[in-house]
Amino acid sequence: MAVDRRGFLKFVAGATTGVLATPVPWKLLDDASIWTQNWSWIPRNVDGENSYISTISKLCPSAAGMKIRLVGNRPVRALPDDNHPLSMGGITALAAAEVQLMYSPSRVKRPLKHSGDGAYVAISWEEAEKMLKENLRRAGSKVAYVSGDETGTINELLSGMAKASGSEDFYMMPSEVQPAALAFANMNGKGQLGYDIENSDYVFAIGANILESWGTVLRNRAAFKNTHPAGEKPTATFVYAGPVQSNTAAGADEWLPAKSGAEAIVAMGIANLLIKSGATIDAPDFAEFKELAALYTPQKVATLAGVAPAKLKAIAAALSKAQNPVVLTGSEFGQGTGVATVLAGTAVNMLLGSFGREGGVKALPLAPKVIASGMDRSEIAQKDLVAYLSRLNAGKVSAPKAMVFYEANPVYGLPQPAAMSKVMHKVPFKVAFTSFLDETAKACDLILPTPLGLERFDDVETPYGIGQAFYGLARPVAPCAVDGKPAADVLLGVAGQLNMDLGFATFEEVLQAKAEAAGADWDSLMEGEFFTSDAVVEQSGLRLCAGIIGKALASAPKAGKLSIAPVQKLNIGTPNTAIPPYNNKTIRRWELQKNEMYVAMNGATARELGVVKHDRIKLSNSSGSIQARVNIFEGVMPNTIAVLMGFGHTAFDKFSKGKGENVMELLTVGYEAGTGQSVWNVAGVNVSKA
Amino acid sequence: MEEMLLHPADGNSTSRQFGGAAPFFVGLVVALIFGWWAFPGMLYSENEQPIDFNHKVHIQDAEMECSACHYFREDGTFAGLPTTESCAECHSDEPLGEDPEEARFIKEYVETGKEVKWYVYQKQPDNVFFSHAAHSLESCNNCHDFSEVELCSQCHIDVANMDKTPTYYENKLTTYSKQTMKMWQCERCHAHPEHFGVTRSSNACFVCHK
Repeated sequence: MAVDRRGFLKFVAGATTGVLATPVPWKLLDDASIWTQNWSWIPRNVDGENSYISTISKLCPSAAGMKIRLVGNRPVRALPDDNHPLSMGGITALAAAEVQLMYSPSRVKRPLKHSGDGAYVAISWEEAEKMLKENLRRAGSKVAYVSGDETGTINELLSGMAKASGSEDFYMMPSEVQPAALAFANMNGKGQLGYDIENSDYVFAIGANILESWGTVLRNRAAFKNTHPAGEKPTATFVYAGPVQSNTAAGADEWLPAKSGAEAIVAMGIANLLIKSGATIDAPDFAEFKELAALYTPQKVATLAGVAPAKLKAIAAALSKAQNPVVLTGSEFGQGTGVATVLAGTAVNMLLGSFGREGGVKALPLAPKVIASGMDRSEIAQKDLVAYLSRLNAGKVSAPKAMVFYEANPVYGLPQPAAMSKVMHKVPFKVAFTSFLDETAKACDLILPTPLGLERFDDVETPYGIGQAFYGLARPVAPCAVDGKPAADVLLGVAGQLNMDLGFATFEEVLQAKAEAAGADWDSLMEGEFFTSDAVVEQSGLRLCAGIIGKALASAPKAGKLSIAPVQKLNIGTPNTAIPPYNNKTIRRWELQKNEMYVAMNGATARELGVVKHDRIKLSNSSGSIQARVNIFEGVMPNTIAVLMGFGHTAFDKFSKGKGENVMELLTVGYEAGTGQSVWNVAGVNVSKA
Repeated sequence: MEEMLLHPADGNSTSRQFGGAAPFFVGLVVALIFGWWAFPGMLYSENEQPIDFNHKVHIQDAEMECSACHYFREDGTFAGLPTTESCAECHSDEPLGEDPEEARFIKEYVETGKEVKWYVYQKQPDNVFFSHAAHSLESCNNCHDFSEVELCSQCHIDVANMDKTPTYYENKLTTYSKQTMKMWQCERCHAHPEHFGVTRSSNACFVCHK
């Protein structure tokens, strides 16, 4: 019996009708929608018990305290820690992204060797350590170490290895730490300058971006929060002087517009007024200082720093009237400041009677070094990385045969990065201990993945800016997400093979010794406790270093008509982290659109330059040039262009690479008269339409 | 020679031979049989639990409550299935009963420290935020008078009265269990006006879909 076409169609029609009366189409439709939830790229919740581990961020330059929430054994989120002295209930935008950074696409997943044709070749740890050892042996004393860690004892290890091989070339990436340490050492001071912001009733931050990036930001913010209760009268006044209405300026009770790089001049202007009102200091060179301060009248400060004389007088009067005033100095972008700036600021504190007083400036004790051949902080502060690299670039010193970079990204993060990358070509062997494939790692011959702070033991000792001595541990909260090894352990192993006697076999032993030297209890530290001390170092014979301030200010570089003001924001990351993928959405549309960055200027400056909002412009000077679009923002001083830091990466991943341009291209290195310290907080710029 | 016509004039067309409604009904019946009988069997795979766990003996003989094993952690989250470690608090060295499955559990899981890969009958997808804490006896017994077993079995299979673990039917397309509750089943309570009045658990999307 054959089935003809019509019969078949009838059968199909019947079957179709029948199917519609069954669950088949409806169930399949429903299941198909559920099936789409199972696509492999859709993240899954992992169930488990919640637990919290207290630790410290090693990625955030403010050494943010935090607690990591784990579900089961898996870290899921970094949270503020009310009980941690480096968190005080807050968390920075960078530390908040740290858990997600464990899975960043730009993490170095295994040891890599740069082959001759420029490609990366994955190698075993055994081969990598052998390569490192052979090259360090071959380099002998011609080796240099660069560290990007400001607070860790690993600096003693790195400098100890340098010294054990006969080299003095250990350097730290520049920050606010070095000028402060140098300034205090020049003053004949002992210990580290600390600022008791919590107990101050008048905080005057000159350039120091205290609510965004300067010092221990979370403590600063906690102090601001506690003195500014919602709906009530503030119990302390925060004033910020700087060229841009940054987050600090926006939060402060008053913003005093002052030119970039003119921080020392503002401080001297205050000193001038305080001395006129009868303030004095018991210091051997006070007469010389008084003479120098007399030059910085409000009118002169107005000319040099752009500060209105009446405003300056009002602030000086308020400082005099306050019970516990404190003056903080720094650069609004956290680097490039001169020693004179800190000297002038400290002198103002002394004029106010705030040195050694509660709510003022303190000299904090530092734990003695535990690696005998290593350098302590005061020795490290003497080592000027930018000056060293500049001399290398100019051929004034012979290039080392090997350079070791530890969590440092000088190829991106130093001024005039093009010149810095040229230096790299002069060094035959470069090794980077890094968690991310950054610009410096890409220029290295050997790239060794380090676990993040959340995956290793590390320590933090008294970060710069904090008002009390501190020691705490960063503890591993999860196994390393990549095939990484702690740099300290790798280096100690290599040091042992090279017969360098550093006195320790493992880094844990180093940390234990350091904890003991700091006066901390190791067992408590391992349980997430921390050590704090209100002890201070007694001072005698402090000098004001008027000579250094005078020389530095007399020959300070002038920016010209237009100057740039770099602005640092922690959500945009650091040279070591680039923009955490988690944070891309926190970048505002007037800061970056797609791959084009915006620079900000006020309406008057824009009219004078003949540009309007969204115009594409070229900013250039003798150091380099960048392109950007214009944003009009009245929170920028006249003749100043505010440029965000953290853009223009040429490495990392799609979340950072090629987004905007690097403001460091425009920063010109100069040398401070009186100290010879490299400075780059003043940069003139020319603007043309691109 | 017979004329080749599309529609033969003798009236004895093939459409009449297979005509009428017969093919339609054949198709209809085939589809109905397929849809209601064959399709469910094809859609689901049948799996037995790795251990034939006897809930009844725990609830009725040992007089345990559901929450003895399925408890809230100290942090307030629901632990769900017990770990081998927590089962081993009772079932460690020697079996407590005669059931060979208990002996096998001790040998294969307790002694080796392995976790049992239980099939979960009622696992909800990640886009459903279900809090056991919000569906507690305290909350429901404001009006009802549920025992713990009764409350749990409002949503879960009533395993408390079963000697054997039921077969787990896994949907081959979605990979979820056949017994996983659908939204309309949640809405039996959530869309119930009296429930909203007492528990404030509205039927708004964001109550479950965060």
